[in-house]
Amino acid sequence: MARLTGTGLVADDLYLMAHHEVTGRPYLHRRAIGVGLAGALLAELVLAGSIRIWPEGGVSAGRLTPPDELARSVLELVRTERHPVADWLAFLARSAHGDVAQRLERQEYVTLAGSRWPWRSDRWVPVDPDCAFAPLCRAQAALDPGKPVTVAGATLAGLASACGLGPRLLPYGPRGARRCLDETVRQLAPDLRELIAQTQTATDGLLLSQRV
Amino acid sequence: MSRTQSQRTRQSHVSRALAADRLGIPAVLFFVLAGVAPLTVAAGVIPTAYQTTGLTGIPAAFVAVALILALFAVGYVAMTRHITNSGAFYAFISNGLGRVAGVAAALMALLSYSCLQVGLYGAFGPGAAAEAAVHLGLHAAWWVWALVAWALIAVLGLLRVDITGWVLGVLLTAEILVIFAETVSGLVHPAGGHIGFGTLSPADLTSAAFGTFGVLAVVAVLGFVGFEQAPVLAEEARNARRTVPLATYLALGVIAVVYAGASWAMAVHAGQGSVVAAAAQQGPGLLFGLGDGLLSATAQFLFLTSLFAAALTFHNVVWRYMYALGRENVLPAALGRTGGNNIPKTASLVQSATGLAVICAYAAAGWQPMTKLFFWLGTTGGFGILVLLALTAIAVIAFFARDAHGEGAWCRLIAPALAAILLALIVVLAVLNYSTLLGVGRGDAAAWAFPASYAAVGLVGLTWGVMLKIRRPRVYSTIGLGAHAATGQLAPAAGEVRR
Repeated sequence: MARLTGTGLVADDLYLMAHHEVTGRPYLHRRAIGVGLAGALLAELVLAGSIRIWPEGGVSAGRLTPPDELARSVLELVRTERHPVADWLAFLARSAHGDVAQRLERQEYVTLAGSRWPWRSDRWVPVDPDCAFAPLCRAQAALDPGKPVTVAGATLAGLASACGLGPRLLPYGPRGARRCLDETVRQLAPDLRELIAQTQTATDGLLLSQRV
Repeated sequence: MSRTQSQRTRQSHVSRALAADRLGIPAVLFFVLAGVAPLTVAAGVIPTAYQTTGLTGIPAAFVAVALILALFAVGYVAMTRHITNSGAFYAFISNGLGRVAGVAAALMALLSYSCLQVGLYGAFGPGAAAEAAVHLGLHAAWWVWALVAWALIAVLGLLRVDITGWVLGVLLTAEILVIFAETVSGLVHPAGGHIGFGTLSPADLTSAAFGTFGVLAVVAVLGFVGFEQAPVLAEEARNARRTVPLATYLALGVIAVVYAGASWAMAVHAGQGSVVAAAAQQGPGLLFGLGDGLLSATAQFLFLTSLFAAALTFHNVVWRYMYALGRENVLPAALGRTGGNNIPKTASLVQSATGLAVICAYAAAGWQPMTKLFFWLGTTGGFGILVLLALTAIAVIAFFARDAHGEGAWCRLIAPALAAILLALIVVLAVLNYSTLLGVGRGDAAAWAFPASYAAVGLVGLTWGVMLKIRRPRVYSTIGLGAHAATGQLAPAAGEVRR
């Protein structure tokens, strides 16, 4: 059952932020959303203490196992194979959109709606627009120096900005929101800062090589 | 299945999946050629060059420049393997000659690509005006049509790139087929009944004087602009060590054959002694006249779409440069921010504003669009690319002089040195003969003002680079990183300690 507090998982919140709260229409190119969600899936593992991301993008897995099934499957992959975070972002981005949508469907946040037109694919549509909009409010705290922000909220805002959702997020902040967001991200743990920077790099790479 | 086997299967899964996503030679080649817009050069640049310079060695110049660029590409693609943000000249120059020089190169590249982009409105306007008058009975000034194209490009520049990429691909295929058909048709109907090879002779490169080669080379380089783009996809190419060089050389070969063939066919069809006069009289019709009926009409229509596609492509190249420099904070950070659909709106709008200002200025002054906007700004953009090519060749030598990175002497020293000498020679010859290139008198201000603009911009870049080095070392440390600027900004700047 959908709740305003959300699932507590960064990728779920980022997915909802990247799509219209009523129609489910994506705000970004599908590849850019994929990269953002890939970063968010890795962020869930960092926040759960299951992996560490080192300067220059190395990834190592720890012993803690997250409760979520999708996060566990990502962790299992990270444990069996050594790759830099850039490769993990590229790999996870391929399927992250569908994986996260299905996880949200299981939690009854979105539902698959058929298209009226035969040439258009089906689309995941939020079940409750308020619940779908709530992640934006959680990320909004990172834009305002007067509001307390959680690590997950700051990470969500940082990843959202990195994958190109800045224009969706920043208008909801006060004057100087961009500077505040940069400052909040700077105060995150080195793992998360590296992950956000790598996500930004991957998105910029897509843009400069004309793939989004 | 045992646990070990299961792990091994999964282990190969990630690498296999990533490899399957990577681009092969055809995809990279298509990416490079899609930005070339062949009819723009074949019907626009070549006839105008025959007319303005009065020189007939253009076919030979395409072959000669292709060979020089092939030599240049040896070191260029070798260095691609060892740097990030490859594909942008300023990244090579930053890594080879230092970041201060890199900033100067970045601004010069921006000026070059911007000249190339804006100049195209000067050919589109008159072309569209003529077609509209003949086929639609609409009579409007060239600048009205130029503004229509400008408005469309301003909007498309804010849309998703994959849509425009698909359109560019279809146009490219049609253009190459039409040029091929026109070339064959022109060669089948030679003036005087026999095919002459004079314009392909190396002797024609220096027919008027030795400096003639510099003029012809600038014109020829215009046709090859875009070949340098293959390394942009180095990080996404399957076996980049093989794919990027092969795609680069194939692109050079295809471009050389298409343009040398078309310009040769024009000279054969009109006669070597008459081609300059025919170009002055017919303009782009010099190419269209090689075929007849449907072929000619198709070529005329595709010429307009080609000009439009080229303007759109260069518009995208300019905002990409601005975006990369904005991400690095070398230019204002607003240029490095994206809008709602991952497109850097500010960068795109800045280039649109530049185009609008230039079209309005030319319209207000009543300057001739085909020669003074299209050819003058186009060749000035080409001249800037030549300067950047020469600097990049020197940067390749400097980069490998510090560390050979396992590359052989041919790749890291001999080929780049030969390319640097030849490209520098062309730059000097072009500067000395810029009046011939523009078709003006020796004392004309345009003959020194256009090349001097690069010196001025370079000086501004050097000054800005030094200021960044002194005042903003963190920004300075990320110059040339492009997409990797975000991770580069996390690294400690000089004098800082990372905790």
